[in-house]
Amino acid sequence: MTATVAAPPAVQPPHRRARRRHRMLIPLGLALLLIVATLVAHAVDQPDPADRGFLSPVATGDDGGSRLAEALRGQGVTVRRETDTLRALLAARPGPATLFVPAPDLVHPDTVTALDDLPAGSRLVLVDPSRRVLAGLGLPLTPDDRRWATRATSPDADDRPCALPEAARAGTAAADRQRYAAPAGQSATRCYAGGLVRVPWRTEVVVIGASDPFRNDRIDEYGNRALATGLLGGPRPLVWLDLDGPAPAPTFGDGTEGPPAWSPSPGGSAGTTGDGQPGSGGRPGQGADRPGGGQREGDDGADDRADGRQPQQNPLWAAFPVWFWALLVQLALAGLLVVLWRARRLGPPVPEPLPVTVRSAETVLGRARLYRRAGARGPAAETLRAAARDRLLPRLNLPPDTPSDEVAARVAALAGLDPDRAADLLHGDEPATDRELLELARELDRLTRTVATRPDHPNEGDTR
Amino acid sequence: MTWRAALLLGAGALTLPAWPAPFLGVAVMTGLVLLLVALDWALAAPLHAVGATRSGDRTVRLGGSATVTLHLANTSGRTLRAQVRDAWVPSAGARPDVPPERMVRVAAGDSAALPVRLTPARRGDRPAAVLTLRSFGPLRLAFRQRAGRPGTPPWTLRVLPRFDSRRHLPEKLARLRIIDGIQVTRGRGQGTEFDTLREYVVGDDVRSIDWRASARRSDVLVRTWRPERDRRLVCVLDTGRTSAVRVGDEPRLDTAIDAALLLTALAARAGDRVDLLAVDAAVRATVKGSGRPALLPRLVDAVAPLQPALVETDFELIAGEVLRRERQRSLVVLFTALEAGALGEGLLPVLPRLAARHRVVVAATHDPVLTGLTTDPPRGPDDAYAAAAAWRALAERDRVRAALARHGVTVVDAPADRLAPTVADTYLRLKALGQL
Repeated sequence: MTATVAAPPAVQPPHRRARRRHRMLIPLGLALLLIVATLVAHAVDQPDPADRGFLSPVATGDDGGSRLAEALRGQGVTVRRETDTLRALLAARPGPATLFVPAPDLVHPDTVTALDDLPAGSRLVLVDPSRRVLAGLGLPLTPDDRRWATRATSPDADDRPCALPEAARAGTAAADRQRYAAPAGQSATRCYAGGLVRVPWRTEVVVIGASDPFRNDRIDEYGNRALATGLLGGPRPLVWLDLDGPAPAPTFGDGTEGPPAWSPSPGGSAGTTGDGQPGSGGRPGQGADRPGGGQREGDDGADDRADGRQPQQNPLWAAFPVWFWALLVQLALAGLLVVLWRARRLGPPVPEPLPVTVRSAETVLGRARLYRRAGARGPAAETLRAAARDRLLPRLNLPPDTPSDEVAARVAALAGLDPDRAADLLHGDEPATDRELLELARELDRLTRTVATRPDHPNEGDTR
Repeated sequence: MTWRAALLLGAGALTLPAWPAPFLGVAVMTGLVLLLVALDWALAAPLHAVGATRSGDRTVRLGGSATVTLHLANTSGRTLRAQVRDAWVPSAGARPDVPPERMVRVAAGDSAALPVRLTPARRGDRPAAVLTLRSFGPLRLAFRQRAGRPGTPPWTLRVLPRFDSRRHLPEKLARLRIIDGIQVTRGRGQGTEFDTLREYVVGDDVRSIDWRASARRSDVLVRTWRPERDRRLVCVLDTGRTSAVRVGDEPRLDTAIDAALLLTALAARAGDRVDLLAVDAAVRATVKGSGRPALLPRLVDAVAPLQPALVETDFELIAGEVLRRERQRSLVVLFTALEAGALGEGLLPVLPRLAARHRVVVAATHDPVLTGLTTDPPRGPDDAYAAAAAWRALAERDRVRAALARHGVTVVDAPADRLAPTVADTYLRLKALGQL
């Protein structure tokens, strides 16, 4: 009886869109995968100086330094491992020594300034120090560009001769990663395209931008072993500062017992070395430092005052009472509750199944635009003329096959026009411009209106 | 949780300066508020114990208002305090008597009625979409809400066509009665059929004496005539792409439905049998006019959910369906658009088969925009081109008309507001001429 047939399911979206999406996604995804894999591999491959055992003389892992320590001991160098900055400085105190700092960024910022406070004839070797460490030491060096990975080069790469005999002896070595630049006028020795720089500062400082020559896994490549043993060996004893993590802030002892106390100013507290080291051991070196001593004392005094409060404490904390912060926290929690309340909506929005809509005369207007774009003035004019003739002929009681000149004459007579003008209107040439077409359309419109409003058929009465 | 919990916590924050240990105060107050929220949540009426049903109107005429009532039954042991959102599709024009922001209280074991007034804006089936219930605890610090609980009771309001052309019905019926009356007194003629034989009384037309019957009965018998009845009428609605075109403010299909309803009402009163078919690429709706009294309501119900589809109408299918269903000669009124492309390629090839068996009328709505393009004086070059395109479309339409007329098809082409009465007039004229 009455049956309403259900609408068929909507047309499935074509697969072409999915394929186009794949065409976009697959190469992009591959590129992304390659980039991520490269970054991960690089991060895994590069040793982190903050790792436990990084360049430690007792670590036998890939990034340890046990093989270097063995090689040095084999050459008769005394290797002394220290895990505290102050102890290391004190260990280097008695005479000329080499202080090797594999991870200078782990040294506490307050003690960095004292790293070169070594006896005369000592050498300080820093591996990949950052700008902060260089500035703390007051070295006239700035970090230059950094390579993505270490490169093995000859000492006099980029055609600048290397005056460091250890480097010249080692030959090609993997020292070119972080490069350092010394300002002009400084008597700095530069090797391996800036990867290794020696500065005769308060003590001889050697800065190397790559850790590869010292590491267990790379020490046998190229001249790495010769470079490392050359830099750290020699007649001086080696003090190896092996830090597991960021060093704690230095403590200031005022007595002779308890933890090792340290005074940055050489003259002020010679007797505060509480670990049994003779305080006078440092004397010879301190004499050499005298010229800069006065200025440094002032600096250190400022450091003293800065260390009087907790370093991590934000001064904003103390500016407001505690309840104020508690109030903020509670208000934030209340805001969180508001968020939770507003986040749950009272039911989903309801979609409206919209009907299809087609505007009226859509195809006709589209055709009109096509005519316009194609400049089809001829066909348009012919259509208008044909339509006008179709309207005029019944009005004039003429059969459809009337000759054109007769139509023009009758129309001209009825509308009071010049016959040539009427003939031109109804059967003329095609218009050359849009303006002419518009004129033609207007004229035809006017003509048909005039004829339509004229009293009909003057001869109608005769035929009756 | 609700804004009350946040407000409680925020108000508690103001007491913090008085606490000896403010951060402890924060922890205590937050814990307290969360505890209250949890307690309130636990005390809220459970959602699974709430049942929802509906009752009310199933149908409404477009432009009218209907009321559908939602009944919430609380079978739990706790009082239900809830916000209720009864969402209908936007075109249903739902206005709940209780807005969703207001709290509804239903005592334990009781039930509440929430009427919704619907003023639909569109014809067709307007379903209720989602029922959402938010059950609050006694302190209104927390609520329970879960999608699909209680389940949305299904309800569909069928919005019937407006049937604006009803106002033409009395006039057309009066004309129908005139046809009836004239033909009864006139006796035999076109559009009448044999009714009965009865005895001759003085004053009867002697030409209607049935001599053969009189010889059998040895009495003078005359034949009586009545207007033809039990003619067959088939309304075919084209719901294809041409019916989606908006003429004025409504699609062509709505105009066609309006005209078909008027025609059906008229034909049903005249004693004819009306069938209806709605077809585009497939048959969308069919009504067979056997059960006469309820024909119009059934028909209205069947055409209400029809929507235009963006497909090409299959005239082959229309012809096949009509020929299959209608064995007797009938009047086939095809409501479509006079478009050269659609009719020329679709209808004209199958028309001979159809016209050989049935009397075909093509009823089309004429587009006022087209007329406007051809009659308005052109103001710019665009208008000139548009006028040319419109004249060309009109010429094509005339060609289609001529082609249809060659097959003996009557073409009714009227503006949207005149289509229904014009089609009815055509029907009456054909009936008066006995051409059904």
